Amino acid sequence: MSEKKKWFTLDLGFNKKVPTASSCGCGKTSGGCGSHEAPSPSKNEHAMTAEEFDKAVEGTMVDETRKDGFQQVFDVKMDRRTAFRKLTASLLVGAGAVQTSCSVIAGEESKEKAQIDWEEQFKGNYKLMTQEERDATVDRLVRSYQLRKKENIKMSATDASKDVLFGYAFNISKCQGYMDCVSACVEENNQDRNSQMQYIRIHEMKDGEGFKFNEADDNYYHEVPAEGHFYMGTQCFHCDDPPCVDVCPVQATWREEDGLVVIDYDWCIGCRYCMAACPYDGRRFNWSKPEVPEEEVNKNQHYLGNRMRKKGVMEKCTFCIQRSRAGKDPACVEACPTGARIFGNLLDPDSTIRWVLANKKVFRLKEDLGTEPKFWYFMD
Amino acid sequence: MIELRILLGFAIFLCLCSCKHTEGEYHSLNDKIEEEGKKYHGTDISSETYIGDIETLEITEGGHTFLIPERKGQLKSYACTECHSKPLSEMQNNANAQRAHWDIKVVHADENAMNCATCHNGNAMDHLKSLTGNAVDFNRSYKLCSQCHTTQFEDWKGGAHGKNIGGWSEPRAAMTCVNCHNPHQPQIESKWPVQFNTQKVKERE
Repeated sequence: MSEKKKWFTLDLGFNKKVPTASSCGCGKTSGGCGSHEAPSPSKNEHAMTAEEFDKAVEGTMVDETRKDGFQQVFDVKMDRRTAFRKLTASLLVGAGAVQTSCSVIAGEESKEKAQIDWEEQFKGNYKLMTQEERDATVDRLVRSYQLRKKENIKMSATDASKDVLFGYAFNISKCQGYMDCVSACVEENNQDRNSQMQYIRIHEMKDGEGFKFNEADDNYYHEVPAEGHFYMGTQCFHCDDPPCVDVCPVQATWREEDGLVVIDYDWCIGCRYCMAACPYDGRRFNWSKPEVPEEEVNKNQHYLGNRMRKKGVMEKCTFCIQRSRAGKDPACVEACPTGARIFGNLLDPDSTIRWVLANKKVFRLKEDLGTEPKFWYFMD
Repeated sequence: MIELRILLGFAIFLCLCSCKHTEGEYHSLNDKIEEEGKKYHGTDISSETYIGDIETLEITEGGHTFLIPERKGQLKSYACTECHSKPLSEMQNNANAQRAHWDIKVVHADENAMNCATCHNGNAMDHLKSLTGNAVDFNRSYKLCSQCHTTQFEDWKGGAHGKNIGGWSEPRAAMTCVNCHNPHQPQIESKWPVQFNTQKVKERE
């Protein structure tokens, strides 16, 4: 991680890179629980010279300062009430997992599932993870999906590239309200099919009256474009100074180096502060368990993007992080039949988005708030 | 005198303090984009694979170089001279002439401004024809459109009009005019939205 972080971090000595002795939730050291595919350093501990022993002791001493997994939760000074609360919540999951994983009757597969659940339960915040830890959780999620649904997914944890800052422009004279973008977005990002979860909203507004969101028709269904109306879309604007990030009490959402504002769905506690803080109605909450028919699941996923969410967490547009970080246009840009949506790299002086910013009369919503959205509107 | 000096010193101090330009801090997003864009050396992200298997050709117009889809291969019966072996006037006057292109109706500007001969040359059907009578390749039909639609042409070159193909990175590929607009009836018809808009807003009220 870069040195100039914009968030406050508790220094627990995380940044010291020390090979950790593998600690397994099920208590086994033989690797039979299936979560130790990587060669663990503890395997050859039996045959050890005196020097090696000394080194190992030193290693564990440093190790104590670098807390990992459930130690992050348990080895922290706290009052009794918090401790009990944490214990009851986590142990309910943990106890079930331990029971299954240590049971003689349960099969290898359910043991592995329990092991994955255990490790997922106690993993850290994605933002603070090392690359190895990120890869490990991605592997666990892929394996977990494989065990549960018997299907293979491809999940990446691609980091932001240098010299990239994503920006978006929306041509309000071109948008005709066809809604292709919304359909493509729902399919691409594995959004819940039951609760009408949609990241993009298309507003039908009267010509000549400006942006009046309270008078806009957001529920139109008629032949478009309707006479005397224009259409404009809103979604997450990926503000450069995002208020939603500031209010998150657990730092489950943050701004990445390439400007994308992302959420760690496994760290989100669902308090919806960010939803209240967003001046643009950009964030969505999963009131129910998101469900997508298996054949419609987009298997090309990103940890911070379109991987399956759970009930009670926030989600929103990520500019299709799984696509954009690989060089592809977001699904809405690709789907738009009118070419009203323009996406690109703001740092590239030759990009189309930069041309639009330089040559068209662009504006952003609620610019006076100082949130610096990276989503511009313009007209022909 | 000493007060004046203190005052001056204070003013200079204020000036220095009020504008703290440390690394990575800018007054506005636009400043940041401008400044950091100066250091831009390109990315290693390529969009080449997303163009797909459509054939493209590279064009350079007004300082912009990008790819557009090849057109001739997409035309149903190119080359035109396979049928149009003789000049149009001779073919039309022939009593046994086959009636062709009956489905094409020009709804583009009005009859005073445009007819078939505005873009097609009856004596050389394999090429399009500019207003001054020069031959224009079918692959570069945008050159015809840009004769009248100059603002759209400017926007298209820059990337504000038309549709990008594949990805946001290099190489840039864009649809050309005829990939979206039917040149004979360029107006795009109204249609039904592909799905309902969300009902959530109603629920919230």
